[in-house]
Amino acid sequence: MSTFYWERHPDGPFVTLVAVAATYCSPDAYDGAYDDLARRARAADSDDEEMRVFKAELRQALADPSALPDDELSEAVEYSDGSDERFLRRLWRDLYGDEPAAGA
Amino acid sequence: MRELRGRPDEADDGGRAERDAPGAGAVRERVEVRSRAEYAADAELAASLEVVRRFDARRAGLAEVSTRDAAAYLDARQAERPWLAAARDRSPEVQRLFAALDQGGGHGHIRHEGWVTEEMSRRRVAYLEDPAQLDPAKRAAAIDGLKSPEASHHCRAASSRITDPDAFAVAFARGIEHPTVRAALDAKFTPGQVPRPVSLSIGDLLGPDGYRYCTGWRLQPFEGSMNAAREHRAAWTEARRQARDAAGPEPEARASGTFAGGTVVFAFAPNDARDGYEVVTMYPRPRRDERQGDSR
Repeated sequence: MSTFYWERHPDGPFVTLVAVAATYCSPDAYDGAYDDLARRARAADSDDEEMRVFKAELRQALADPSALPDDELSEAVEYSDGSDERFLRRLWRDLYGDEPAAGA
Repeated sequence: MRELRGRPDEADDGGRAERDAPGAGAVRERVEVRSRAEYAADAELAASLEVVRRFDARRAGLAEVSTRDAAAYLDARQAERPWLAAARDRSPEVQRLFAALDQGGGHGHIRHEGWVTEEMSRRRVAYLEDPAQLDPAKRAAAIDGLKSPEASHHCRAASSRITDPDAFAVAFARGIEHPTVRAALDAKFTPGQVPRPVSLSIGDLLGPDGYRYCTGWRLQPFEGSMNAAREHRAAWTEARRQARDAAGPEPEARASGTFAGGTVVFAFAPNDARDGYEVVTMYPRPRRDERQGDSR
């Protein structure tokens, strides 16, 4: 019944990555959401557990995009990049710049 | 509901056959305009308006508006904000909800409500033409009607609406009373952070026949892929904006199938005062297995 991956599989693999990306990067996101996410990523606030998990899952997904649950990222974010991998590479570059990421 | 008649998601019922029978006169049509299922949906909706009467705008992160001020607001602004016209002939309580929404930062009532026609929804999905953009040239160039400074419009691979202002008001008012939406709206405000979107059953918000108030359009796959379809749509609209030759065929959209068993999505944003959250958009989505690219 529920629409979103994080509602159907609250403990599923990559659930933080999919949920955060959908919240800040999808067409439903508010004006300025992507910039807020970038600021949040760069703040590296040690209390921001969600962003710590998000970054770890983003690294993991970049290392092996085939490990992402089928179509969940695409359906949640509805990016125009053409593929999960291209979206994730853009996201890493925009949030973390030149910082190395496996597969990025 | 009239525009929904004959849609593929309508259940068979005796009412429609009787209504469409040859020889049915004008008087007969006037008194039997709805099918039995449509009548049931309308009766359920009328009974649900109590939730709109008790709607507390402040609990939705919005400014409180009196019924008198709401009517004046709608009257004064419907020329420049044509989406308000849909609510103008509705009850004072529905007008109050729309006036409160319109003074917030959300756009659900602008892009996903009855004032948007089926053709506007189709063109939004296919060509990224924003119903909120009132300048025809800018709308054709896929310029967002609400963003400042101007920016391109974005849209999911589907666009949908709740076709009746009363139904939209009931869905919103009932939604903000739901515990999962309350958890989002009541979350402690943290700058730069926002609660995750939430989906609620259409049936829970609008009753078992409430899906009949929902329609939508869906982008069709390009070269067999929805990822490619969205990428192609972005490239096609960009080429049109720059008056270049479009690469490839026009993006194609088709009417969504039934919304029975579907959900209503609530997404959130910081409010204008930056001290809490509000609903940035609310729209219906079909069931997951009805969201395929070649849906009806």
